[in-house]
Amino acid sequence: MAQHKTLCTARPALVKQIVCAEEGNVTVIQGRVMPSPRENRVVQTGGGTCACPLCQLHLDIKHTDVLILSQFLRSDGCLLPRRVSGVCRLQQRRVQQLVAMAQKAGLMPNLAPSSSKRDPRRRFGYKKFNKYYDESTIRDVQPFSSAMSAR
Amino acid sequence: MSSMQRAKQWATFARIWHIYDAKWQNPFDSSKTIAKYLKGQHKPIYHPLSDCGDHVVVINCRDIALPGPEWYQRVFFHHTGYPKGGATWTLAWELHEKNPTKIMERAVHRAVGGTLLRKGLMARLHLFPDEHVSEDLLRHVTSQIPQLRVQPRRLDSYSEEEVRDFPKVFDYPADHVIR
Repeated sequence: MAQHKTLCTARPALVKQIVCAEEGNVTVIQGRVMPSPRENRVVQTGGGTCACPLCQLHLDIKHTDVLILSQFLRSDGCLLPRRVSGVCRLQQRRVQQLVAMAQKAGLMPNLAPSSSKRDPRRRFGYKKFNKYYDESTIRDVQPFSSAMSAR
Repeated sequence: MSSMQRAKQWATFARIWHIYDAKWQNPFDSSKTIAKYLKGQHKPIYHPLSDCGDHVVVINCRDIALPGPEWYQRVFFHHTGYPKGGATWTLAWELHEKNPTKIMERAVHRAVGGTLLRKGLMARLHLFPDEHVSEDLLRHVTSQIPQLRVQPRRLDSYSEEEVRDFPKVFDYPADHVIR
């Protein structure tokens, strides 16, 4: 399935942020329109068979590459859906497992829900100790197209 | 023997103190390297009976790392010697909570081999759970054994500018709500 990308040459896309503030008895919920924080930092990728940016970049991402993996997360540690990040199904599965490894290893404690213990050392039992993972255990999931054609 | 040759003799046969930082290292892989230094196999003058081994000080034993599920899958066996319930199987994380140096000690104990020299070699191993080592031991240390695994960096150890300026793989679509 082809990824529908918005081709916009007019001006860069604007993102929104919802800000909730309480002043006395009045609650103000404001939707701020602002330029994307990633405006001039996006890597220019060359073409390829896959429209997904990770396939085009051909990077061997490890679970310790938190600067890359954190780009796919919301502020509470949830993964962004494919329609937002633009990656293909294979890469989304791979990123999902790498993010799970990084979160279990306690490498991204600031991207967590507000009710969680931010410090990995405050976790219970075996979870407080250091863990590392082997990326070669991630088995690549076959994309839909080849699975359908095999039948 | 000239004074130069005497200095060379001392330098060859002196017992050296090495230090190893076990932070984020697998204890079982590190123990193979540590055992090599304890036996003296890194020296060209090595012989098992010539007592050419060195001392190794291991710090940050509390911060060792095991792969994925090994913390609750690896089990350490102990038997008190008494019958009826003398055998206990302790999970790795339970043992590490009780005594943070025990896993490293057990790993080196196995890596060093089952020979009669083992007790002497283990006596030259000094394990510490954190970086606090007494000055009496530290003043002998002259060498460092390099770490086997790269220490990962946590996301909060990077500054905000570094995270912001890092190249991004994709940009948010139009009208996306950042949460």
